[in-house]
Amino acid sequence: MERIELTPHMEEIKRVLGDRIDDETLEAELNKYLNEYHVDIVSAKRGIIRKYGADTAGTATAANATKKIADLNGTEQNVDVLAKIVYVETKNITVKGLSKVIVSGILGDDSGTASFTVWEPGSVQLDKGSVYNFRNCYCKLWNERVQINIGNRGRIEAAPGVEIDVPNSTASLSSTEVKIGDIREGMGNVTVTGKILSVEARRINSRGEEKIVYSGIIADETGKIQYSAWHDFDLREGLTVCAKNCYIRSWKGIPQLNIGDRADVERVNQTIEVEAADSQKTIAEINRIGGGLDITVEGVVVDMKNGSGLIKRCPQCNRSLMAGGVCTVHGEVEGISDLRMKLVVDDGTGAIGAIVNRTDTEKLTGVSMNAAMGLASARGEGVVARELMGRILLHKVRITGNVMSDDFGPSMIVRSAEPVEVDVQAEAEKLLAEVEAAI
Amino acid sequence: MNGNGKANPRETAWRVFANELNTSTLEIKATEEKMPSYVVSPLGAKINRVLVAGTLTEKANSGTPEEPLWRGRIQDVNGQFFLNVGRYQPDAMAAMADLEPPCFVAAVGRVRTYTTDDGRTFVSVRPERIIRIDESTLNEWLLDTAQSAWARLKWMKQVVSLPDAKVPDLIKMGMSPVQAEGMLYALDNYGEMPDSSVYLKTIQNALRRLLPEKDVDFGFPEGMQDMPDEIDIDGDESGGAVNHGQMEDIVLSLLEELDTDGKGAPRDELERRAEAEGISAIELEEISNILMDKGLVYEPNLRYLKLI
Repeated sequence: MERIELTPHMEEIKRVLGDRIDDETLEAELNKYLNEYHVDIVSAKRGIIRKYGADTAGTATAANATKKIADLNGTEQNVDVLAKIVYVETKNITVKGLSKVIVSGILGDDSGTASFTVWEPGSVQLDKGSVYNFRNCYCKLWNERVQINIGNRGRIEAAPGVEIDVPNSTASLSSTEVKIGDIREGMGNVTVTGKILSVEARRINSRGEEKIVYSGIIADETGKIQYSAWHDFDLREGLTVCAKNCYIRSWKGIPQLNIGDRADVERVNQTIEVEAADSQKTIAEINRIGGGLDITVEGVVVDMKNGSGLIKRCPQCNRSLMAGGVCTVHGEVEGISDLRMKLVVDDGTGAIGAIVNRTDTEKLTGVSMNAAMGLASARGEGVVARELMGRILLHKVRITGNVMSDDFGPSMIVRSAEPVEVDVQAEAEKLLAEVEAAI
Repeated sequence: MNGNGKANPRETAWRVFANELNTSTLEIKATEEKMPSYVVSPLGAKINRVLVAGTLTEKANSGTPEEPLWRGRIQDVNGQFFLNVGRYQPDAMAAMADLEPPCFVAAVGRVRTYTTDDGRTFVSVRPERIIRIDESTLNEWLLDTAQSAWARLKWMKQVVSLPDAKVPDLIKMGMSPVQAEGMLYALDNYGEMPDSSVYLKTIQNALRRLLPEKDVDFGFPEGMQDMPDEIDIDGDESGGAVNHGQMEDIVLSLLEELDTDGKGAPRDELERRAEAEGISAIELEEISNILMDKGLVYEPNLRYLKLI
């Protein structure tokens, strides 16, 4: 094989072996397997991975680089970390319908902290405050923060007697000024200037103590965000304020602004054009920020999921009923009919789940609730979903609503939806002009 | 979001023209369970799923009536998507049964690759959904796909001038992580810059269809021997048809000559010889398809073409 053809295989091997093999050795090995011994590429790769891989770890050749947490860049495929457990918890997660136990938390060394996850914890017991050697970890970037993963090739060894001082807070103490549209999960100390669109006082019980929380929506020209103020800062609708030393917490991927005990709130004489807020985002942008309020997305309907069409809802709690007309909370009830669609909308940069209510389903498909019920009684319930699908699949839509994220990616509860009319001619002329100018 | 053990978010449906998809030879294979595999196009699209559209030109059931296995082809501006629909795509399978070629369709599905012993890679699409569309929806797809291919060409041009750029650098330039990874993987592993004229020509052809009254011309030679690009689309066959016919004759005689053992002519050999006669690989593909449509040749398997 020529070098060019080998490259993808070399990359593949390097992804598995990381820095346990250098390019020169790898190429020599591959050459030997393939050209001297005429072994097929699959067996050759297996052989080399076996030879240099995790199975033989512990021999002198398999020594790994140990890195400080601050030096990790999120692309490491195989790295050792010596660190103290700052925080640890055991979690139950669901993977493809199967329940699974993982251990996650925060690791720290004298250079910084990072979150970690042990995917196959087995009988490993990690104690807060103890130091361990985390071997053969791989790192990923999530929201520009490094995550340390210990997969099935990883090992955790206790490091008794090793002392590590973790700096108290690695978050910077100074507050950074941000635009609301740029706020994302995991941001530390922020300063926001915006207009209060709504205020609501709620009584809550916090650790046995009754407290009043003021919450609502604050907006600037880049977007809107939900806030919670834990003191009476005399926030009023229509006021423009500058809130310093706030922090961001996320709920299901939707960032929320917390105006806490350390915050300062000042009124500012500044007019903010909230109406001009352009909250249209690409799905790639949504993947980056996690979620938010009143986001608009434009894309093609690429799929329609089960649970679309005519459904029954519980008259008491409005939940959709399971098969047989049973509510998960209220048992057997007389369901109320409703029409909805669970769509997947894709804009070429990513995909988002979208739950569309009855009004917008009727608007997008032209199938009214009555027509759907008529169709169902004439030809069966399943026909309704198929009818809707035929009218919406591969069509372009613009949807607006609140977006949250989970393991399956972002999803939107659609508040308003409309079909998109593309001016193909004008757009094509624009593209033509651009290409002609560039070549 | 984290790979490994966690559910994966849904993969983007890339808008790609057939020639970009079919010239993809790089793969990022899953190394862990539940990790998706990707095909990386020469323009750096890191593809697991595609959204394609065009004319369904043919369909055939290569399974049994009880358990169909549909094969089909969708022609876009100057290439074809190869479809396989089996029992794991029940919705698409039911839809295939009802579609009558020729008709405009759009399909969403995952890509699969097949690599021959001699290292040639074939890319096919397994539709999860396939549906009949009207011409205006097809035009929207042509526009989206042309814009998306142009965006990749522009990115590639920029990134090529930054030999040491890493993923985070590209993200800072405005690319998404997936775009950045695909772009660098393509540049590092294809070994050379793709011939952008091939892809520009496809954009040109798409724009010609969208703007029929405009004289869209990016100044590329119209193929060898002045052959028009839109073989199936353009009704006007004056002039071009003769040359076209000549190419068909060349290919037919090559097929006869190269079929030494009755198995047919090996594709790679046919391609080399055709090239020597001034027929590019893309043109050969087109001619082969036309000859198959005319019922003069068939594919005993993917690597051979044989006279009937």
